[in-house]
Amino acid sequence: MTATTSSLAAASWRVGCRRWLGEVFDQPASVRGVAVLRIVLGPSVIWHLRPFLADSLSGITYHDRFQQQWWPWFPNAPTGLYVALLWVGVAAAVLMTVGLWSRAATWTAFAVVAYNLFLSETHFHHNRAFLVILLAGVALCDNGRVLSLDARRRPPLDDRALVWPLWLLRFEVAVVYFASGFSKLIDSDWVGGRVLHDRTIRYQHEVRDTLGDTLADPVLEVVTARAFHWVLSPAAVATELFIAFGLWFRRTRLAAVWVAVAFHVGIEVSAQVQVFSVIGIGALALWAVPSTRDRTLVTPSRWVGRLDWMARFDITVVPGASWCMVDRDGTELEGREARQFVMTRLPATFLFSRIWRYR
Amino acid sequence: MVVVQLALVANGYRDPHNFFAFQPFNESSTYAVELVRVLDDGERVAVPDGRWEGYDWDELIDWGPLRSPWRQRHAFSGVDAVVDFLDHALDWVADHSPGDTETLYWEAAVTYYRNARGPYVTVVRSHERELGGP
Repeated sequence: MTATTSSLAAASWRVGCRRWLGEVFDQPASVRGVAVLRIVLGPSVIWHLRPFLADSLSGITYHDRFQQQWWPWFPNAPTGLYVALLWVGVAAAVLMTVGLWSRAATWTAFAVVAYNLFLSETHFHHNRAFLVILLAGVALCDNGRVLSLDARRRPPLDDRALVWPLWLLRFEVAVVYFASGFSKLIDSDWVGGRVLHDRTIRYQHEVRDTLGDTLADPVLEVVTARAFHWVLSPAAVATELFIAFGLWFRRTRLAAVWVAVAFHVGIEVSAQVQVFSVIGIGALALWAVPSTRDRTLVTPSRWVGRLDWMARFDITVVPGASWCMVDRDGTELEGREARQFVMTRLPATFLFSRIWRYR
Repeated sequence: MVVVQLALVANGYRDPHNFFAFQPFNESSTYAVELVRVLDDGERVAVPDGRWEGYDWDELIDWGPLRSPWRQRHAFSGVDAVVDFLDHALDWVADHSPGDTETLYWEAAVTYYRNARGPYVTVVRSHERELGGP
C-alpha cells in the first residue's frame, strides 16, 4: 500500500516536472511582465550612467582615478570612445523605454552597462550587478511584442513568446533576496542586531539633521536602543527570505510582492542604494502569471481598463451593470467581492486591497 | 547560468568583495589609515592629510570608499574589501606619482573595528619603485 502510494507520488511528480519543463521551454506565454520590466530598466540605465556622464562632461573618466582591473586582458577604451559608449547606452535606454527596436536596444544597453562595470572593480555595486543581470534576461526575451512602438509598427499576432528567460529572471531575482537574507542569517553579528545597531548609532546625526531635534529625540530613543535591533535584524532577515521563497508559490505570491514593495521603499528611505529599489520593484512584474485576458470581467467602470497594465482581465464595460468576474478556474464573483478581487490584481491598487481574502 | 550564479553566491563567502554574491550591508565596520612613505634610505615619513611632494591622495585616488582614509571611515563592503582595495590603491599611487623621486614604497597601517569589535591592525604596502636616475 505504502509502496503504491509512493510510486504514485513519484509518477505524479515526474508528470508535474515534465509539464513544467514544457511550459518553460516549449510553450509560448505572455511576455508582458518582461515588457514592463524593460520600460522600468530604461530610465534606470540612464540614472545609473548619470554620474559617469556628469564626470565625463567635467573631463574626468575612469582613466583619471584609481581603478582596479578585473582581468588584465579586458580592453580599455580610449577616453573619447568610452564617453561615446556611455551616450550610446543612454540612447539605447531611451529606445528600450519606448520600445523601438526593443531587443537590440536592450542588448546594447546591457553591453554598455556590463562593459562599464567590468572596466574596474571599483565600479562594482550589488545594484549594478543586478541591473546587468536583469538587462541580459530581458534582452534574451522577445520583449518588444507588447507595450512598445515595435508592437504598434508591426502588430504581432499576440503578446506570447518563449518564456524561459522569464524563468531565468525569476531565479535571479529570488537569488538576490535569498543570498542577502541567508548570508545575514548565518552571521551572528547581523542576525543578533549588532551590525544594524552600530550603523544606527554612527549615523544618528543624519536622522537628527533630517527630522530636527524635536522629532528626532523620540525616534532616536527607540531606534538606538539595543533591544530594538534584537527584533529589527531578525525581522529584516526573515523579510528577505520570505520574499525569496514566497514569490514562487501562488498562495504567498501576492503577500510576498506586497512585502517586497514595502521592503524596497524602506531601504530607499534609509540607505543610498542607487537604482536597486526601482529595478527591484520593477522586477516584481516578472511574477505575474504569464497569461493575459484570461479572466472575464463585466464592470460599469472605465478606470479598470486604464489600470489593468498587466492585462489580467478581458473587460467589458457596461454602464449601470453590477460587477461580475469569472476567474481562470471558472469561479464566479459578483458585486463587492468581484470588485475587491479586481483591486487585488491591479498594480496601482493591490497594495491597498484586502489581500488576505483571496489566493 | 543557474549553476554559475549559485557558484558566485557560494564564492561570496570566500571573496572579500562578494562580487555577484549579493551580500549588501554585510558589516558596520570602520577603519582609519596611517599612511607613510618609506624612502630609499629606510626613513619613514608620515603623510599628513594625504599630501606630499605636490601630490594629494584624494585627488590621485578620487574614489569615495578610500577618500581621506586617515579619518575614521565606514568600511564600504566590509573591512576585507577595503584592505584589498587599499593594497591596490597604494600600487596605483606608486605608479602615478612620477614627480616623487624619493619614495621607495608606501605603507598603510590600517586600524579597524569589525562590527564595533577591536581595534585590530593590519599593514599593507605598495610595490617598490625604481628610483634610479641620472
